[in-house]
Amino acid sequence: MKYLLLLNNDKTDVEAWGKLSPADAQKAREQELPRWNELFGWMEEQGITSDGLELEDASKARVLRVRGSETMVSDGPFTETKELLGGYFLADCKDLDQAIELAQRVPLVSRGSVEIRPLVTQ
Amino acid sequence: MKVIALIYGEEQRWESASEEERTAMYARYQAFAETADGKILDGAELAPTRTATTVRVRDGETVVTDGPYAETKEQLGGFYLLEVDSLDEAAELAARIPGAATGAVEIRAGRMEES
Repeated sequence: MKYLLLLNNDKTDVEAWGKLSPADAQKAREQELPRWNELFGWMEEQGITSDGLELEDASKARVLRVRGSETMVSDGPFTETKELLGGYFLADCKDLDQAIELAQRVPLVSRGSVEIRPLVTQ
Repeated sequence: MKVIALIYGEEQRWESASEEERTAMYARYQAFAETADGKILDGAELAPTRTATTVRVRDGETVVTDGPYAETKEQLGGFYLLEVDSLDEAAELAARIPGAATGAVEIRAGRMEES
């Protein structure tokens, strides 16, 4: 069963990261890396295959709407809330319980959230 | 670069659509995919938001809630992962996604690896 896991960061964290110098941002990312590697190790142990992507800042998002022949483009993410989508996993899990177990091991879940959405199977 | 296109729409309208309307919409998505010139790496339709589960951990305790993180007028209903040269190219493609004409499509670039 495939699930899309939407990884939401706490907005105040995202804003704080945005203020870091490139060198400090890199350092902060490197500090986080062991926790992510631990997660990837666990997924491998469980036989969970996944694809995923870390996303650029939500401020660089664009939203498009096409009405008739007109395309309207707005900057910024679709939803502006206390949390911002920072990345995702597309994971093949046994069931929802395993997806929840995965979600609770995602490093950012202790400050943000992980939303699990099952895919429609055709 | 990789770009994810998140497709938002009114899921209630989709759920109450007739068989003909659904078939027509799927055909439009298939036509889009065929003309996307191999730039689609992946994509899927999501089950309705009532099947969503949101997970948080606070002070070591896992909190699981039903439903999506944010209640919105339009809901995330599907996505495409695109391989493109620029965000502008992604925007051109995204504007052709059928859902852009009825709802909205958000495009988000993947972070480039600094190596």
